[in-house]
Amino acid sequence: MDLSTLPRTELLREVTDLIALHAELIDDDQLEAWPDLFVEDCHYSVLPRENADRGLPVATIFCDSRGMLVDRIVSLRRANIFPVHHYRHIISTSRIHEVRSDAVVAHTNYLVLQTRNTGRSFVYNAGKYVDEIVFSSGKFLFRSKKAIFDTDLIDTLMVRPI
Amino acid sequence: MLNVQDTAVGKVSTDTEEPIGCRIPYSVFTDDAFYKAEQEHLFRGPTWNFVALEAEVPNPGDFKSTFIGDTPVVVTRDKDQSLHVVVNRCAHRGATVCRARQGNVPHLECVYHQWAYELNGDLMGVPFRRGIKGKGGMPADFDLKQHGLVKLRVEALNGLVFATFSQEVEPLTDYLGPLITKHVERIMCRPIKILGNQRQFIHGNWKLYAENTRDPYHASLLHLFHNTFGLYRSTQTGECLMDESKRHSFLYSKAGSNDAARDSEVYQDSRSFDTSFSLQDPSLLAGRSEFPDGITLVILALYPNLILQQISNTLAVRQIVTHGPDSFELVWTQFGYADDDAEMDAIRLKQSNLIGPAGMISMEDGEAVEIVQQAVSSDRKARSYIAMGGGGADDADHLVTEGAIIGFWQNYREMVGIEERVS
Amino acid sequence: MDVIEMERLRLCPIDAPQDGEPVAIPAGAFPALAVYNVDGQIYVTANTCTHGNAQLTDGYQDGATIECPYHGGAFDIPSGAATTYPCQIPLKTYEVTIEDGWVTIDAPGAPES
Repeated sequence: MDLSTLPRTELLREVTDLIALHAELIDDDQLEAWPDLFVEDCHYSVLPRENADRGLPVATIFCDSRGMLVDRIVSLRRANIFPVHHYRHIISTSRIHEVRSDAVVAHTNYLVLQTRNTGRSFVYNAGKYVDEIVFSSGKFLFRSKKAIFDTDLIDTLMVRPI
Repeated sequence: MLNVQDTAVGKVSTDTEEPIGCRIPYSVFTDDAFYKAEQEHLFRGPTWNFVALEAEVPNPGDFKSTFIGDTPVVVTRDKDQSLHVVVNRCAHRGATVCRARQGNVPHLECVYHQWAYELNGDLMGVPFRRGIKGKGGMPADFDLKQHGLVKLRVEALNGLVFATFSQEVEPLTDYLGPLITKHVERIMCRPIKILGNQRQFIHGNWKLYAENTRDPYHASLLHLFHNTFGLYRSTQTGECLMDESKRHSFLYSKAGSNDAARDSEVYQDSRSFDTSFSLQDPSLLAGRSEFPDGITLVILALYPNLILQQISNTLAVRQIVTHGPDSFELVWTQFGYADDDAEMDAIRLKQSNLIGPAGMISMEDGEAVEIVQQAVSSDRKARSYIAMGGGGADDADHLVTEGAIIGFWQNYREMVGIEERVS
Repeated sequence: MDVIEMERLRLCPIDAPQDGEPVAIPAGAFPALAVYNVDGQIYVTANTCTHGNAQLTDGYQDGATIECPYHGGAFDIPSGAATTYPCQIPLKTYEVTIEDGWVTIDAPGAPES
């Protein structure tokens, strides 16, 4: 499917749905389903704006295959020790930045609130998604997802995807 | 009665009821009195504190704002390439002079009243020094030379920049000692390039992290990623060594020495031994052997505020910045070598998933510090018990030791004092 | 073109600048200029301080020194040299010719004399 032939409103709806589903799977702790929103040969990174602005490559989380996403989740479930917590994503309206025949690039602001077992919620991570979304095997999927975050003082640690 | 000081000095055997080992009153982690004392006697005392990598300030006019303990400082590179470290506080009325994290400037200038300083901290001038139309102005005896920024002593070792407030402390390499110097030089063996920063805020006392990084005992027990995916086990060969003063520690292991039969015997069916999982994408662990000595993990804990690490192909400094008795910031600066090829760049970036605040083998340290802080905060008379490895500040040719933690506390006791400050 | 190049720019009558009361010439063919009378001698400099964005003619002339009102920095009027912090970059000066009772300087594009 040539994405550039689709009406803008329809593209925006598909983009918005996918980004909302991504947030919901994480917030609802359905992490095992999360990698399925990505193509096999994907990029996923969560990187401090400080590095992005200076052209430095280090990301807090950097995955370049769906397998690495799965490994992150297995590690979270089986290996990692972290405070009990929930995320709550608040997602802004997406803006379509670019439409190519095979991909659409969208920019979306996000806030991730975190609640630990103290019961208090706080802004854990504020940033911007830069998503490259493709239509593959009958579905819209992320080929690349970057969460570029302003909150570069990470509270305690980061185990869950943003 | 056997006191804490005695037990920490060595494996003292007595007929008292106190067990051999080191006991630290938890109020060192919670009391403001300790926090204030250590800012003065330790961070601003006779210690060399890490402030920057030279590669962060490569060009004349480059600066980096950072902290020693909680004292703000600026690292600058002067026109003649020399390095300066000055307190980031205007000599006039105390404003922060350098407000950006880094940048390039011809001189430092306070925005409040535009007092301007040379890159070495000398005061260049003051607006309205002679008033206006002959009215106002500074007193006639105002002397620019008396009002510069506070200057620190600076030394660099293979690209690591340290500063001290002390005029008495020995030169840097004497302070580090030959063992630590050698291993700093091993990692900092050629020009580096900065790959990026990560910052982590930990709700705990910084000394819990100083303990954590001198503690090989916890590695295979807390960090289960190693075990889950078969990366590291305590049966690997490794050592935990200290400099002569026992303030710094050098902890290393070699990954090539796994022995499956021995592992099963040692761990039997403990929760931390499970090899049934394998990585879907093992490229995470694909790396290169960079060092001829075969060492795959190095944690150099440099008293008081630096950890220099090599974990597989990840290279990083971790700088401790204190915020108060119950919180600190950990600033990770990851680097590679300037001559890394594209494949090596990619390896380092991918393995970066192992370290930092989201590091699959390091994130737990943040939680470990916090669960101690949460439990000790309400009971100031209680004490820890540190004795693994024999209870003394001893080097170990194995990784089931807490000797380097005891070494840390011996130095802290000498510099700041412990028992006399417990309220 | 030759005619224009030879022309001089008339700034103000010679008696306009008084000692301690320099005259501001608004920006035109030139950036804003200041005309001073220093002990009977006429000088012309740029009027915008080389440090902050302020007009020196709003400041305080004390003999051969002009003090900027913005930060109290100062310049030596005849040479343009910065004499008092925070001014560090010298002020541009212009060679003055008195012509028919007017203070004049070379028009833009005039050959260096």
